[in-house]
Amino acid sequence: MNVLQVRGLAKRHGQKQSLVRAVDGVDLDVPAGQTLAVMGPSGCGKSTLLHLLGGLERPSDGEVWLAGERIDTASERALARLRRRSVGFVFQAFHLVEELSAAENVELPVLLAGSSPRQARRRARLLLEQVGLADRARHLPWKLSGGERQRVAVARALANEPLVVLADEPTGNLDTAATNEVLRLFAHLRAEGQTLVMVTHDGRVAATADRLISMRDGMFVEDTWLAS
Amino acid sequence: MLVLSVAVASAVLSLGMSLPGVTERLYLHTRAATAGPDVVALAPDDSPVATSALTSLVDAPGVAATSRPYKQFWATLTPRGRPEVRVVVLGVDRKPGPIDRPLMVSGEWVSPGGVVVEKGFATAVDLRVGDQVAIAGRSYPIVGIGVTAARMAYPGAMMGGPGNGPSDRAGLVWMNEPDTRALAASDLPRTSIIYLRMHDPAATSKYMISYHETRNSAGGFVGDSFVNSFTWQFIANEDGRHLRDSQPIMIIGGWLLSFLAVAGMSTLAAGRAAGQVRRVGLLKVIGATPGLIAVVLLTEYLILAVLADALGLVVAHVLAPSIINPSGSLLADGAGLSGMVILMTTIVAVGVAILTVLGPAVRAVRSDAVTTLSAGSRRPEYLVMLSRVAALLPTPLLLGLRLIARRPGRAVLHLCGTAATAIGLTVLLMVESQPEQGWDFGGVVLADLANDQSRHLLMGVSAALIALSVVNTLTMTWTTAMESRATMAIARTLGATPGQITWGLSVAQLLPTLPGALAGIPAGLFLNWFFGPPDPPEMHTEWLFLVPLVLMLGTALLTALPARALARRSVAETLNAETA
Ligand SMILES: Nc1ncnc2c1ncn2[C@@H]1O[C@H](COP(=O)(O)OP(=O)(O)OP(=O)(O)O)[C@@H](O)[C@H]1O
Ligand SMILES: [Mg+2]
Repeated sequence: MNVLQVRGLAKRHGQKQSLVRAVDGVDLDVPAGQTLAVMGPSGCGKSTLLHLLGGLERPSDGEVWLAGERIDTASERALARLRRRSVGFVFQAFHLVEELSAAENVELPVLLAGSSPRQARRRARLLLEQVGLADRARHLPWKLSGGERQRVAVARALANEPLVVLADEPTGNLDTAATNEVLRLFAHLRAEGQTLVMVTHDGRVAATADRLISMRDGMFVEDTWLAS
Repeated sequence: MLVLSVAVASAVLSLGMSLPGVTERLYLHTRAATAGPDVVALAPDDSPVATSALTSLVDAPGVAATSRPYKQFWATLTPRGRPEVRVVVLGVDRKPGPIDRPLMVSGEWVSPGGVVVEKGFATAVDLRVGDQVAIAGRSYPIVGIGVTAARMAYPGAMMGGPGNGPSDRAGLVWMNEPDTRALAASDLPRTSIIYLRMHDPAATSKYMISYHETRNSAGGFVGDSFVNSFTWQFIANEDGRHLRDSQPIMIIGGWLLSFLAVAGMSTLAAGRAAGQVRRVGLLKVIGATPGLIAVVLLTEYLILAVLADALGLVVAHVLAPSIINPSGSLLADGAGLSGMVILMTTIVAVGVAILTVLGPAVRAVRSDAVTTLSAGSRRPEYLVMLSRVAALLPTPLLLGLRLIARRPGRAVLHLCGTAATAIGLTVLLMVESQPEQGWDFGGVVLADLANDQSRHLLMGVSAALIALSVVNTLTMTWTTAMESRATMAIARTLGATPGQITWGLSVAQLLPTLPGALAGIPAGLFLNWFFGPPDPPEMHTEWLFLVPLVLMLGTALLTALPARALARRSVAETLNAETA
């Protein structure tokens, strides 16, 4: 079964001379449980693709289906519900809520999905344990290292057991040691069968994937299935 | 907006502070310009006994000179086509004596057949030079309008009513002595009056004690006639009385407004702090000292605050004459803002500026250069988003409330600001629910001027309070929305709907509004009780419930605008902008 199905997807910015084809007509199927890495030079449209997949941006053309539901035409409300339940985002800049502690950041999507505070707390404790940060639960993000912050972000992305995790340069701001921590986490997710789409510059990150897509100027130029 | 808020606040404050004694100053000015008497003495009729009692006062202790005795008659004046009003007609010479030389503001002094009316009275009843009026049934043209220091400002009590009975409020009319014969022949009530000049104008009490029981005004027998005396100090004091009600309104209103100005401005400054912190980081990197940086931050706001203060003072200067001299019975050109008042409001304005930048400046200066350039530069005010996040849903409320405790600054500001507005509204409601008092001027009902003036001032101050709190609410929500846009974008990637974001922002403002509004009501009631009329009439308490309701609704509406604007922004763009 395909978690994600994309047909003729395009995103254009601006008009005439200033027209930018950030994503220029791509087709893509992501089967459940696959770890997909998208690589390409800066500005080739990787982030845009990820935003389109998660419903953060609307395409200029084409269709996006998530778990059999078409999302490119969905209402803003429906999209919110979808992001709440089916998608987990991880960003290069972490994007933790600065005012909330690590645990509270993880609780937030659980609460948004309508669980009780008690359930949310239990879920957050479990996830932080999984990413090895149980002892940092009460820390505010600025007290955490980059790697710790990103692990909190991963825990948060997993909070509602999403169908797919979309990660945009998850190691882009991290040093080698921290990158390794996050990669270990991703390997664990992969082993558990979590569908994962990640965008990266980093060959080491890409090497952990089942499948590697190369992008250039908004188009896919290579699609390789690695050993699975 | 800083300019506007501070200008309004300092205008009200400076008016409030310049009120004490200002009418007395106007009186002194008028007294000097019209050779006002030191003591006015009245006797109950125009009999020779009364007249000789008055003229004998020239030998009284401290008296240097007297005018000749005059007669005044209690009559009615009928402007053409309008109802009659009560007047006192004073028979005078065509050439005024050395004591009490009324100053003509238009027209000329009395002539045979032509009368002069007192300016405050003329203004109230709308009389002009050239008008034809009937006095005790005879028609006279008004040939002039004049100002005197020998009477209390209209519509203050006229001294020595008919038969020395209860004094009666009436307008003053000067009439050429020969023309008063017709009045003298009638049975109109009358009194004799004489003006005294003392050796030492300050030492009127020696005279008063020798003839009367008290220092300022009272009656006593002089020879065989009862004589009532009024000192110039007494008149000055009476004139200032109607202002004493207004003063607390202006001063308290001024402080409330200053507070609102501080609240709004510090929010604005906090909103801009992110940018400033980054700028400070850059300055530090290139080697600026903390002191220099603080100066840089302060200068901008100081200049604005001083500008606004100047603006407010100009407004106060323009408004002052109508507030301190509402009936126009006194010469207004003596009214000016004293240096003390200017100094005080400037201190307040500068204080506002300093308070405004203090937080951001200290934070910017304290933090080290690297943190200001990097992560710290994007860390917004806590409380704001806490409440915001808290408000996303009933459940996140729990989460957020836990965090409100970490930084309650702005919520407290908003709470107090709302309380200030609620105080204004409460007092306004209380005053409006009281029946309007008026004085019957023998046919024409004029609103009690002092009371009327308090109402107007209160309306003005309340309007300013409401306007400022509207500005504040918008500033706060907008700042909040701007500061929390990253958090909100993140919340949306986590599945919060635009509607939840809008509600979150609105509720965050509403949370402190409710306690603020509720706290403002008792405070307003207290102020009203403290400064209001001694026995407040029936009040409509049910109207008071409207205060929090109106404030909540108003806040909700005002916050919905910026909140919606934020909620509609594209998530991806916001996140990109935040990382950029
Ligand atoms: N809102 C926008 N308006 C105009 N152009 C845009 C906008 N958003 C993205 N672009 C353009 O679309 C192209 C693709 O952007 P995108 O962020 O997807 O690239 P990327 O592959 O993620 O690059 P990087 O590796 O640097 O993150 C770029 O040329 C960018 O300038
Ligand atoms: Mg990118």
